[in-house]
Amino acid sequence: MSGPIPSSAHPEEALTVLTRELETLFGRGVDALLDPAAFNELALRVFALQFEANQVYRGFCERRRVTPDTLTRWEDVPAVPATAFKHVDLVCGDPSAAEAIYLTSGTSSRGEQRGRHHVPRVALYRAAALPNLRAHLVPEDRPLAVLSLIPSPTAAPRSSLSAMMGFVAEEWGDPVRWLGLADQGSDPGAFRRAAEEVGESGRPALVAGTAFEFVHLLDGLARAGETLALPPGSRIMETGGFKGRARAVERAELYAALEARLGVSRYRVVNEYGMTELLSQLYEPVLAEGAGAVGRHVAPPWLKVRALDPVTLAPLAAGGTGLLAFFDLANVGSVCHVLTEDLGAVSADGVRLQGRSPGAEPRGCSLAVEDLLAATEGRR
Amino acid sequence: MSAPAQDFAAWSLPEGTGLPGGGARSAPAGDVLLRWLDADPAWVRGIAEALRGSRDALRRLTAREVAALCGAAGARFLDPADPLRSRALALLPGTSGLSAEMSEAVLDGMARDWTGERLERLLAAEFTNAAALDGFVPGGLGLARAVGPRLCVQIVSGSVPGVGATALLRSLLVKGPTLVKPGRGDVVLPVLLADALRSLDPRLGGGVAVVYWPGGSEALEDAALSEADVVTAYGSDDAVRQLRVRTPVTTRFVAYHHRVSFGVVGREALEPGHRHRTASEVAGAVAFFDQRGCVSPQIVFVEEGGEASPGAFARELATAMQAVERHLPGGTLDPGEASLRHQVRGTAELQGAAGTGVEVHDGGAAGWSVIYDPVPGLGPSCVGRLVRVKPVADILDVPELVSPLGHHLQTVAVAGCGARLERLAGALTEAGVSRVAGFDATPFPAPWWHHDGQGPLGALVRWADLEGG
Repeated sequence: MSGPIPSSAHPEEALTVLTRELETLFGRGVDALLDPAAFNELALRVFALQFEANQVYRGFCERRRVTPDTLTRWEDVPAVPATAFKHVDLVCGDPSAAEAIYLTSGTSSRGEQRGRHHVPRVALYRAAALPNLRAHLVPEDRPLAVLSLIPSPTAAPRSSLSAMMGFVAEEWGDPVRWLGLADQGSDPGAFRRAAEEVGESGRPALVAGTAFEFVHLLDGLARAGETLALPPGSRIMETGGFKGRARAVERAELYAALEARLGVSRYRVVNEYGMTELLSQLYEPVLAEGAGAVGRHVAPPWLKVRALDPVTLAPLAAGGTGLLAFFDLANVGSVCHVLTEDLGAVSADGVRLQGRSPGAEPRGCSLAVEDLLAATEGRR
Repeated sequence: MSAPAQDFAAWSLPEGTGLPGGGARSAPAGDVLLRWLDADPAWVRGIAEALRGSRDALRRLTAREVAALCGAAGARFLDPADPLRSRALALLPGTSGLSAEMSEAVLDGMARDWTGERLERLLAAEFTNAAALDGFVPGGLGLARAVGPRLCVQIVSGSVPGVGATALLRSLLVKGPTLVKPGRGDVVLPVLLADALRSLDPRLGGGVAVVYWPGGSEALEDAALSEADVVTAYGSDDAVRQLRVRTPVTTRFVAYHHRVSFGVVGREALEPGHRHRTASEVAGAVAFFDQRGCVSPQIVFVEEGGEASPGAFARELATAMQAVERHLPGGTLDPGEASLRHQVRGTAELQGAAGTGVEVHDGGAAGWSVIYDPVPGLGPSCVGRLVRVKPVADILDVPELVSPLGHHLQTVAVAGCGARLERLAGALTEAGVSRVAGFDATPFPAPWWHHDGQGPLGALVRWADLEGG
């Protein structure tokens, strides 16, 4: 490999150099162009570093007979399955030296393994998350009051989503009102009081939460028969899973309820798609583009998304539905190329997510042992 | 993709039954254009009524006559000269996702149990006196008889072709008219069998209807469930749960929910003279149905201390999987199955790279995988010929390892357990296992097996006593 990182360079130093470079790149914002050759060059340098410094990933690549010397295209960098984060530590350098370890959500009561993402340099996560969030939720760059149903990083130190809201709190002058309690949903009374305060200030609000947290809040408001009117210009960041076909209907109902109870119109509710295993996020650009953006997510230039044939993993033509694979430069400290179980279609204008890949119909009586264990325990 | 080469109507209805007003819909399934009726609840209730009306004619046959007639129709699937078999073989790969070679092996294995002789043995195994299905016989408190359902509604999953046809025969054997709703991967055989029965004998033909509709069509299911006096449901826990809660309390509900099967290889089977054959039989059991069967082993526990280590056995099993691939190639997976396979296989490769001792052997594009996995716990599994080999110090440790899966356990395939077999089987069955069998017998249990713990015909009948008779 004839890149600027000689293989003899100390991986720690190489990580520091690349991190700095990427921070600068991310700092130019999501609208800055990154041409394909420049992305490819960066991606291959990052792969060379990961091959050098992430021993588990290196063994995986070697088994597949891929080394930095054999590659010319980022698309050929081996992708790790997202599930692997549950079973192995995928990190450059010493796992115990990571600045943060974020865990995937999951109910530990069912004995499920939770995925863990080791992040050696949290500053790079922040550098990737903030400009993207700002572009899709505060494109006019005005000060907003932030109401977070997502627990604070103090309450949920292992949540990458909480960490992201923590970055917002650090970055913006107005203190974030933390209204979410870890594992307990939110307190509708506290939310009402916060909304009233914000209303008196007249400043528009950004309300952030997972779909589950919003459902919980709306249920509470409905029980109390309360309807709130957030100040004009307010907006919502909604995140959370797309699980199966029922989800589209549930989401439409959720958005209708948000409009009715909080006074925030559908085109001011921005869906964020993210996962613990990726430090960059995708957003549905409805604030900028309105109705035309519904159901379509866009990625920042340093995150590439492809839809792959579910059986062969060959890349599909634009618009074809397949398994989504992400190449996220912000993952420089772990593994950039991640194969998910989510189905979607990728076109020039963005990604249409279709949720977890289901069989056309349940295929009968054989099932993954893990799921069976969960089901068996769930009976109790 | 090329246009489907053949057309298949996924229904078979009693004479005189009209089609629903909605017409038909269609979708490609491999090289088959699958057509199904756009049914409505009132039409389904009409079918149910017609089926119930056929019961008098069915009752006038003896159970043994029914078995002989069913066997005459079923045996046609085994006759190489019979166009019915040719049609089944042409339609199975596209609709089931199995390769042509595997489709033929599955048809042979299933239809072998649809002959008159096998069905009569099933009657004999389930009833001390099969004449109890025809009237009162001595027994119990004086006289007793076994009454079949007036209508048995059967909702079958599509994982393995042939299961729907077997379900159909079970109901007829107890002289119960039946409405079978097959799963998408298993539409062909119940429809062709029902057609064959109809052309053979109108008394049987009047008592069977097979209608496919897409899973989750609740209004249609509800109409069928409300008309039945016995319901059998095959499928995922969730699918079976949904049906169970919607079935009237007075209706008998026979659940065949999710099941999982394992293998156990003891030291005796690892001796040089046996090892090759053991690996070959294990490979066959895993590969059959592309591992979608509830009888398909997901994990094979291999005993340490034998002449081959479990890791060495895993390598031998990989060679055997590749050999199976040559004569019974794997078929196509749906996107969810394929996705899970990438996740499980890739994760195991990374576990290996992490120094856990996990070793992955795979067939590349051929799709099979053997994962040698010494990590404690059962580990994730999936369908599509992916088997996990786990070392155990002693085969008698296996029952405790699998006991957390209690209610979902089904078959344990065994080899080389020698004199310890009965002790092992005793402990396994205490843990929840309902069948212990050799690997070579694993794919096709005999018709009179205790299916998920109960006799398949006994589950459908209602006993009545005539006291002092």
